[in-house]
Amino acid sequence: MMWQIFSLLGLTSRSLPVLPRHVLIVLMFYVGFASAVNAQQATASQVQWQQILKQAQGQTVYFYAWGGAKPVNDYLRWASKEIASRYKIRLQHVKVADITEALSRLKAEDGGKSAIDLLWVNGENFSYLKEQNLLLGELNSRIPNTSLLANEQLPLDSDFGVPIDGFEVPWGVGQFNLIARSEVFNEATVTPSTLLAAAKQYPGRISYPRPPEFHGTTFLKQLLVALTHSDKRLYAPVTDAAQTELLPVLWAYLEQLHPLTWQQGKAFPSSNTEQLGLFQQNQLVMAVSFNPNQLFKEQSANKIPQSAQRLVFSLGAITNSHNLAIPKGAQSPEAAMVVIDFLLSEFAQTQKLTGEWGDPAVIKALVDEAATLPAQQELHSSWQQVIEALWQQRYGA
Amino acid sequence: MATTLRRLAFYSSGLLVMCIAGLPVIGLTLGLWPPVELSWHDVSRFVEYNGLTTSILNSLFLSLAAPVIAWYVAFLVYSQYRFSPAWQSLEKRLSPLLSLPHLAVALGLVYLFSSGGLLWNSIAVPEWLSLPRKSLLTMMLALTIKEVPFFLLIFGALGRQLPIKSWLLQGRALGHSEAASWWLLVFPALLKQSRLALLAAMAYCLSVLDISLLVGPNIPQLYAVVLYHWQTGFSAIEQSQAFIANLVLLLLLGVLVAAIYLHEWLAVKRIHYHGVMAHRLKMASLGRLFSYWLVSFSVLSIAILVTFFLWSVGWNSQSHISSADLSFTLWQAEWFFMQTPLFNSLVIGLISSGVGVGVSLLALELQQQKQTYLPDYLWLMAILLPQLSMVYGWQIAHTAFSGGYGMSWVVLAHVPFTFAYSYLVLRGPFQSIDRRYELLAASFGFSYWQRWWLIRFRLLSPALLSAFAIAFSVSMAQYISTLMIGAGRVVTITTEAVAIASGNEQGITAVYILVQAVLPFMVFLIASILAHRLRGSVNVTYH
Repeated sequence: MMWQIFSLLGLTSRSLPVLPRHVLIVLMFYVGFASAVNAQQATASQVQWQQILKQAQGQTVYFYAWGGAKPVNDYLRWASKEIASRYKIRLQHVKVADITEALSRLKAEDGGKSAIDLLWVNGENFSYLKEQNLLLGELNSRIPNTSLLANEQLPLDSDFGVPIDGFEVPWGVGQFNLIARSEVFNEATVTPSTLLAAAKQYPGRISYPRPPEFHGTTFLKQLLVALTHSDKRLYAPVTDAAQTELLPVLWAYLEQLHPLTWQQGKAFPSSNTEQLGLFQQNQLVMAVSFNPNQLFKEQSANKIPQSAQRLVFSLGAITNSHNLAIPKGAQSPEAAMVVIDFLLSEFAQTQKLTGEWGDPAVIKALVDEAATLPAQQELHSSWQQVIEALWQQRYGA
Repeated sequence: MATTLRRLAFYSSGLLVMCIAGLPVIGLTLGLWPPVELSWHDVSRFVEYNGLTTSILNSLFLSLAAPVIAWYVAFLVYSQYRFSPAWQSLEKRLSPLLSLPHLAVALGLVYLFSSGGLLWNSIAVPEWLSLPRKSLLTMMLALTIKEVPFFLLIFGALGRQLPIKSWLLQGRALGHSEAASWWLLVFPALLKQSRLALLAAMAYCLSVLDISLLVGPNIPQLYAVVLYHWQTGFSAIEQSQAFIANLVLLLLLGVLVAAIYLHEWLAVKRIHYHGVMAHRLKMASLGRLFSYWLVSFSVLSIAILVTFFLWSVGWNSQSHISSADLSFTLWQAEWFFMQTPLFNSLVIGLISSGVGVGVSLLALELQQQKQTYLPDYLWLMAILLPQLSMVYGWQIAHTAFSGGYGMSWVVLAHVPFTFAYSYLVLRGPFQSIDRRYELLAASFGFSYWQRWWLIRFRLLSPALLSAFAIAFSVSMAQYISTLMIGAGRVVTITTEAVAIASGNEQGITAVYILVQAVLPFMVFLIASILAHRLRGSVNVTYH
C-alpha cells in the first residue's frame, strides 16, 4: 500500500533517502489516509452497534449464572436496574446451583433455539461448549467495550489453556489465594514447607476442597508448581515422561500432609464455600479463594476475625478469568451483547470491584497493578485431568 | 349407551393414568443414552474406579438402614401415641419438620451437635461425643430423623382405615399385653401397607445429592455424588461412565425392592414365631422409651428453627451473645424478590398436587374395578428412576416439541412426582376401606357414583388430605424439573433456595430455607387440622 501511494505521488524508491521532507509529507498523507479508512470502519461498526442497540430494546436476556453468592446476586440486581433504564432491556438472572445445569440444557437443545441468552462460564465447561460449537463467535469484533480489556496486563486470551477466540468475553479475574488466621503463617507467602509446618502446628485444622472441585485441584496445582520449581513441562501438554518425573514429588508431599489435615484426610470439604464456613466456625485455620478481595469482604461483613490474613503461594497466584458467553441459539443475542458491553464498561466494572463482590476488573482503566497479586501462569489444561484422576486413585478411597 | 359411555370413560381415564405414570419411563428412555458407543474398556474403567465398591456398599447400607430404622422408630412412636390424647398435638407438631427440607435438618444437626457447634461450644462436651461433620453416621442420623415424621404421617393416614383398636382388643382377649399386641397384630399389617413409603424413602436416600455433599463421607464419596460428577462432566469418557453408573443405580434399586420384600418376610415370620410360641416379646418393652419422643422431637424442631432464625438475622460464629448485632436487613432486602417465586410455588404446588391426587385416585379406582393391582414399583417410577437422566429426557422431548416455558409445562413436569407420592400415601388406605359400607349403601339403592362420593371419598378424605399435603411438599421441593422445564421463566422459591444454598452462606441460606418451608408447613398444618375434623372411618366404628 505504501508503494502505491509513492507511485501516485510520482516518487521512486531512490528519491526517498535523499528527500526527507518528501518522506514526511508522504507519511503524513499516509497516516491521514489510513485514519480515514479506520474512521470509515469505525463508523461502519458504530452503525452496526447502533443497530444492535436498537434491536436489543425490549428484549429479555436470560442470564444463567451460579446463584450461590449473595454479593454476585446483588450485583446482578444492580446491573439489571441499570440496564433496564439505559437500554430498555430486561436482564433476568437465572440462578443455578451448578452451571452444568445450563450445559445440560444446551446439550438437549442441540444447537437449536435456546432458552439461554447469556451464561457465566469458564474452564472445562467452556472448552466443551466451544468444542461442540454451541457458542456464538466473534464477540470481540461485535462488542465495542471489548477494546477496553486489559489483555496486556492479564492473561485474558485463554481460559484454562483453551484459546478464547472470541467465543466468550472475560468478565472478572480469579487469583488463587489462601485466607488464614494471623498466627498460622509468619510470612505473606506460602511454600509447601511452611504449609507443612503449619499443619504440624495445627493438626486437624488445615484442609482443601476435595478434588475434582476446582479450588481443590488448583490448590494441588499450586503445590505442584512450587514443588517442581515451576517446571516448564507443566505448561505443555502432559506426557508420560513428565508425569512420572513430576508428580511423585506431589504425592510424596501429600503423604506427609494428609495425616495432619482435617479428619486426618479421611474427609475433605466438598467446596471452597464449605471450607470457608468451617473457617468461619473456627474449625479450620485456613480457607481457599479465587477472589483476591474475599478476605476484606468477609472482614467487613464481620464473618471472620479482623486479624485474618491473605496469602499467596510464593511463586505467584494461579490466575484466570471467568467469562460471559452467548449460546448460538440465543433468542436475544443482541440484548445479550449489550449486556456484556455494559458489564465491561468502566462504570459496571468499578461497581463490581468496589462493591460488595470485590471481583477484580478486567479493563485497562481499572487494572491496579499494585493490588493485583503476583500472577502464576495456569498449567496446561491436560494436567488437570491427570492430577484429578491420579488423586482419586491414590486418596479417593 | 350408558355402558358405552362408561367404557369410554374407563378407557380414557386409563389412558390418562398410563400417560402420567409412564412419563418417567419415557423420560429415562430418551435421556439415558450416552453420546458415544460403549466398549468393554469403559466398563473396566468403571469397575476400576477407586473406591467404587465402598461407595456402592455405603450408599446401599445407608439407604437400607436409615429408612428401616426410621420406620421402626415411627412404629414405636405411633404405638405409644395412637390412642393417647397427645396424638392430635403430635400430628400438628410433625408439620415443621415435615416441611423443612432434608438439607436444613442436616445443616441444623451438624451445626448444633458437631464439635465447634452451637451447643457443644456452650457446654463443654468431650470431643468424641460430638457428631462428625462428615460421616456415614451423621448422614444416617439426618436422614433417619427426617424420615420419622414422614412415616408417622403415612401411619396416620393408614391407621384411620385399619381397625387397630379392635385388633388390640382381640389381642388382649388372647392374653397379650397391649405392647405385644401392637407387634403381633398391627405390625404386619402396617409393614405391608406402608411398603411403598419405605421404598420411596430408600430410593430417596440412595440418590440424594445435596446432603451427601454436605454431611456424607467423601473418602470415598457416596454413590450419588460419584454419579453426579460423571453426569455433569461432559467428556465422552464421563458420559459413558455416567451411563453405566445409571444402569448400576437401577440395579441397586432392584436390590432395595428385593430387600423390602425380604425384610417384610423375615420380620413377619419372626413375629409369627413369637406369636405361636407365645414368647414374651422383649422388644415390646422398648416402646415405653418412645413415649418421650414427642418432647425430644419438639425440642429438636425448635432448636433447628431457632438456629436458622438466628442465622437469618445475622448471627454467626463471630457474634457474642451479649453484643450480637442482629438485624432484619436480609429479610427486608430479600422479601421483595421472594414474592413472585412464592406465588409461583403456591400455584404450581396446588395445581400439580391436586392433579396428582386425582390421578392416583383414578389409578386406584381403575385397578379396583379390574380387580388386579399392578406391581407397586410400576407406579413409583418417578421416585425410583434416576432423576437427572429422566428429566433430561423430558427436556429433550420438550425442546423437540418446541414447548413453551410456561407454568403449565412445569406443572406437567411436577405431576409424575406428585402422582407417585400421593399414590403411595393413598394405596394403603384405599385398599383397607371396609367394603361392607359400600355394600350396605348399595343395598339401600345408592348408585355407583353416589356410593363413591358419599362413602368411599368421605372415608378416604383424611388420607386424601395427607396425600395432598405430601404431594404439595414434593412439588415444592422440585428443583431440577422446575429449572429444566421452566428454563428460568418460571422461578419458584425452591429454584432460588437451592441455588442460594449451594453457596453455603449461612444468613441468606437460612432466610430462603425458612421461607421455603412456610408453604408446606401451612399445608401440613391445615391438613392435620382438617383431618381431625373429618376423621374418616375412625369416627364411624373404632373409636
